[in-house]
Amino acid sequence: MSKYILETLFESRPRLKILKFLFRNANSSFSVKELAAHIQEEPLTVRKEIAKLREIGLIKLKK
Amino acid sequence: MAKKKRRTIKKIKRRRAKRKLSRPEKRRPAKAVRKKTSRRPTKKTVKTRPTPRYVLDNSFEFLYELRDLVLKASPAEKDQMARRISGLGRVKLAIISGIFMNKEHSDPAIADLLIVGDDIEQRRLRSFLRSLEAEVGKEIKFAVMEKDEFQYRLSMFDRFIRVLLESPHEKIINKLGL
Repeated sequence: MSKYILETLFESRPRLKILKFLFRNANSSFSVKELAAHIQEEPLTVRKEIAKLREIGLIKLKK
Repeated sequence: MAKKKRRTIKKIKRRRAKRKLSRPEKRRPAKAVRKKTSRRPTKKTVKTRPTPRYVLDNSFEFLYELRDLVLKASPAEKDQMARRISGLGRVKLAIISGIFMNKEHSDPAIADLLIVGDDIEQRRLRSFLRSLEAEVGKEIKFAVMEKDEFQYRLSMFDRFIRVLLESPHEKIINKLGL
């Protein structure tokens, strides 16, 4: 049995990283650039994932 | 001498006058105007478009379920961590606690990571911590000590060690038979 349970379940390592980061820093806001720097992923990937997460309502734009 | 000098000054003045006439007069003011107009719109566009910032939407349906799932340190993570830590030097003991235990820490004195070992490479340790912090998404409270120091602290019931061992923790490397 593979040990990469969550990674497989979420089908994307960057997405899992973003989720972890957001849940651990639930009360602060981030720009795509900052997020990408924090989790050490490409800004383009992060932008795509954020678009998906916004669509399902997990993330919202900060006013 | 004085005469000569005056003459040359006159000549220069005349030359300058000629040049002025031959030059199109509009040139300078036109340049100045163009500079001003080209500057203004760029400033405006910067002001009207701030970089979008995102936050977690607290009204998300599965917020708490998802949080529990995501924040639980997976076996893969622990495995990988153990492997990377043992590559830092002669590591005898590695304990994870605090944020790795999926809990809000009640006691800020609890370290998240304790590494006990000898000949630990500082450069590798730093890069490991940096990538770990990226993964975790938070600053990690860690401590590194040599085996002798650890055993001394353990024998005298050092508060730092005791608190760590009494709170929920996991030994991902344990060669001390603790």
